[in-house]
Amino acid sequence: MNKVFYFFIFNLFFIFVSSSLGQSIEIRKSTDQKISFSVQNFIVDNKKESIHFMEVLKNDLVRSGYFKLSNTDALFSLKGSVKTSNKISSKIYVFNNSDKSSILNRAFDSEKINYRHLAHRIADEIIFAITKKKGMSSAKLALVGNISGYKELYICDIDGANLRKVSDDKNIVVAPEWTPDGKNIIYTSYKMGYPNIYQTGQSKPISSYGGLNVSAAISPDNKYIAMILSKDGNPELYLKELKTDKLIRLTATRRANEASPCWSPDGKKLAYVSDSSGRPHVYVLNLGGGKPVRISSSGSENVSPNWGSNDLIAYSSRQSGRYKIVISDINNRSNKILSLDNADYEDPYWTPDGRHLVASRSINYRSSIYLLDTLEERSIPLVNVKGDWFSPSCTR
Amino acid sequence: MKKIQKKMFIPILIFLLFINGCQTTSSNNPISGSDNIFGDPLVIDTPLNQIDGLPIDGDRSLFQPIYFSYDSSAISPDQTAICEAVAKHLKQGGGVIVEGHGDERGSREYNLALGERRAIAVRHFLIELGVNPSQIQTKSFGEENPAVGDRHDEEAWSKNRRVEFAIY
Repeated sequence: MNKVFYFFIFNLFFIFVSSSLGQSIEIRKSTDQKISFSVQNFIVDNKKESIHFMEVLKNDLVRSGYFKLSNTDALFSLKGSVKTSNKISSKIYVFNNSDKSSILNRAFDSEKINYRHLAHRIADEIIFAITKKKGMSSAKLALVGNISGYKELYICDIDGANLRKVSDDKNIVVAPEWTPDGKNIIYTSYKMGYPNIYQTGQSKPISSYGGLNVSAAISPDNKYIAMILSKDGNPELYLKELKTDKLIRLTATRRANEASPCWSPDGKKLAYVSDSSGRPHVYVLNLGGGKPVRISSSGSENVSPNWGSNDLIAYSSRQSGRYKIVISDINNRSNKILSLDNADYEDPYWTPDGRHLVASRSINYRSSIYLLDTLEERSIPLVNVKGDWFSPSCTR
Repeated sequence: MKKIQKKMFIPILIFLLFINGCQTTSSNNPISGSDNIFGDPLVIDTPLNQIDGLPIDGDRSLFQPIYFSYDSSAISPDQTAICEAVAKHLKQGGGVIVEGHGDERGSREYNLALGERRAIAVRHFLIELGVNPSQIQTKSFGEENPAVGDRHDEEAWSKNRRVEFAIY
């Protein structure tokens, strides 16, 4: 019943959008076959680090979405070994079983305690050797959690492990974003009374104008910071050149709000939210000049854009009373709504593989972090710790 | 890498020069304007105060909060009496942090901007009532500090879409 109803709504939506804007909506489930991959001939010694390493590696390969683990008729096989003594060391051989060719042959080692990191690194090597695509196994998340009674900044690995608190502001933290090198996080904190922008590892705020300082995002070339400031009398989008502190105001919408800027992968454009049309919509602004172009067409609210390395923009759109994830291909002017379960999905953020998103998923007003596979259109939980978790940001 | 940076810098520079030629009134150079009829009341840009040395908190018990419609920063006529009382109080001295809040619907970042706009609309109204702008600072909490946090219905949301007056 539900499916028929949604199909009907989608069709209405399709007709509306294609007639008004010439856009097309693509709704399909991926039927891609997974690559069968055998690990049965990989030798694991009986040390606990080696056993955990193997679990992490297998989970990473399955989570990538490209593989199913299978001992019979596998297209690719992992051979070699992992053993732990003073260090954890691993020999990795990957074979293509169709022509018996070797496609990866490398030795790795690391400190015992870093077995997870080592497994993630090897998983991404295997994923790249077979698919020629960048993996996400080594990525890290920044997120906000309220488990301490305050909203604090946390980080964890992309598989949800190694969750730990980074800030101790005992106040409110919002809108975390990694620096392009993935080493630090910029975020807004109220710790000194007003919403100012801070960077981890620095005690002084990097933006503390009167009013709102929020939604900071550093350009891929590390030269500019895009952010929302209200210092001139209204929330507007600004760029600050980091070297000179020179501020460039990009919008002047005195009847409207701007929010949530994010950079295109080439650093030449910004996507952001503005309600200058009366409702919040996502716009793309070319920094070389020209008017902002609205890319969202339907939905009562379109917020939280994130621009992936795949050049696709994901955002959260309120449609039929639910927040859904829309993936927008601005080059082909097409929008695709991810069909997931009936929860609210907000704050999408691309992982480095260009296939997955992390997002906050809320049901009955409890929010947690999920990994969304945009090809298979399914979601899995990442952070299984009590409390509410939201605003995920992923390293590039 | 350097090439990309140069490529980005030069168009921005050209564009800024172009804009400078058109607009001589402002030191800022907005490249996207909006003059539509849909949005909230036009607020004249009155720069906010630098926060260095400003009080960060105040007494919220002196005045009732004022409440707003969904996704709106317009002050409704039945809420103006409170603003007038606040203005009267501020004319004796002191200052106020106008704290803008929203309900939990919408993204956190959008709600921060909306809360700030509510606070700025109130600030603007207080200035129109004769209060010195240096006495009024804004602070948006977005959806982060709801007045009613344990319920998720229209009644709770209407209590959360508010501006509070923290008097110092």
